[in-house]
Amino acid sequence: MLQGVVAPQSMPELGAALASGPGQTVMAGGTAVMPVINGGQHATTRLISLRRMGLSGITVASGMVSIGAATPLSALAKHPDLAFLRGAIDSIASPTIRNMATVGGNLFVAAPYGDLAVCLIALGATATVSGAGGERTVVAVETLSAPILHTAEIVSRISFTLPAPGTFHYHKAARRALNSASIVTVAAVLPVAAGLIKGCRVALGGVAPRPVRAASVEALLEGKPLTLATVEAAAAAAKADIHPATDAYASAWYRARVTPVHIRRAILGE
Amino acid sequence: MKSTIISLKINGANREFLAQPGTTLLAALREGQGLTGTRRGCEQGTCGACTVIVDGQTVLSCLIPVETIDGASVETIEGLANVNTLHPLQEAFLEGFATQCGFCTCGMIMAAKGLLADNPNPTRDDVIRAISGNVCRCTGYDAIIDAILDGAKRLRTPVSVAA
Repeated sequence: MLQGVVAPQSMPELGAALASGPGQTVMAGGTAVMPVINGGQHATTRLISLRRMGLSGITVASGMVSIGAATPLSALAKHPDLAFLRGAIDSIASPTIRNMATVGGNLFVAAPYGDLAVCLIALGATATVSGAGGERTVVAVETLSAPILHTAEIVSRISFTLPAPGTFHYHKAARRALNSASIVTVAAVLPVAAGLIKGCRVALGGVAPRPVRAASVEALLEGKPLTLATVEAAAAAAKADIHPATDAYASAWYRARVTPVHIRRAILGE
Repeated sequence: MKSTIISLKINGANREFLAQPGTTLLAALREGQGLTGTRRGCEQGTCGACTVIVDGQTVLSCLIPVETIDGASVETIEGLANVNTLHPLQEAFLEGFATQCGFCTCGMIMAAKGLLADNPNPTRDDVIRAISGNVCRCTGYDAIIDAILDGAKRLRTPVSVAA
């Protein structure tokens, strides 16, 4: 049962709150944590809200984007320099949820959620890890999982370089057109230089416990011309990168079967 | 387990009350303030029945521990119009027969109000997107979408009432 809710206003305050024992759960927008709390079957005795930490805001300078971890998803959709992400943001839940759900929180939600994290992995984004002593380290978003974070740490900021115009691709397969969790989510950055794909990054969501980087797909795209044959061969290799599960939206078999199709659709804009 | 004093501006009026740990904004509005227009549906953030506006943003009151928004400004369905009048969106819902059981209506209207604050002249698709987090099990949505478009029109062209 909940014994308290605190909303620290600085890293030292947050560090002290996090260090004060078990049973604590960090929440940002609350869209993932509060359903569990409201359900009653939880071991949380104290909620630590990041709402008053001043971690909200977007800055874009010299092609570098820096987003505070507590920035709501709807703020990304409204930012003129992040127009390329608008379709991806609009594919996540409902406008009301997007006013609450945060960029940092999206990195920690389990499949079939986390579509923005898929985009951030494709963009090569990094996460700044902070604790009571300030910013400790910067890690790639795709390596971000609980063991990287010490007990008294949070992700405070996400950073990435703006992709070249036209190189970012996104596609989400879901049951319904709006407000539906992922069957397969694909995000890719595919720069083409002198007719060949150079420095590509492909990420998948909904097909593993967490969003994953599709290294096998990237390996077959890199250095090749961007053609249907290249994309189909690369997409077929995705089965080495995924560990799909069965849930209310789709079976593991179905997810594995359609993943290459949706990679092709994402990249070729079908 | 100590209660906390919470101050909120609710529908324009300053309110101060005690909240036990983890009291949601939904519970504070319904049980503490008697504002039962905000509905308790799924408590999972899925149905939209508890939609309210906090500091200008449409949000789900069931997902907000009230301690985390101390000092905020909250608008509920009760704040839309005075006792003897209706907001243009409410008029449009009433005249367009956009309610059946009525459980989702307040959340629908608050979600619509949020949309119209950003986009006073929405397309049908804009309206569908705006209420994509609000579930209605009666109407099939068409009457609600029509009513929101009608409400938007009424808000754009206020009717002058003869004395």
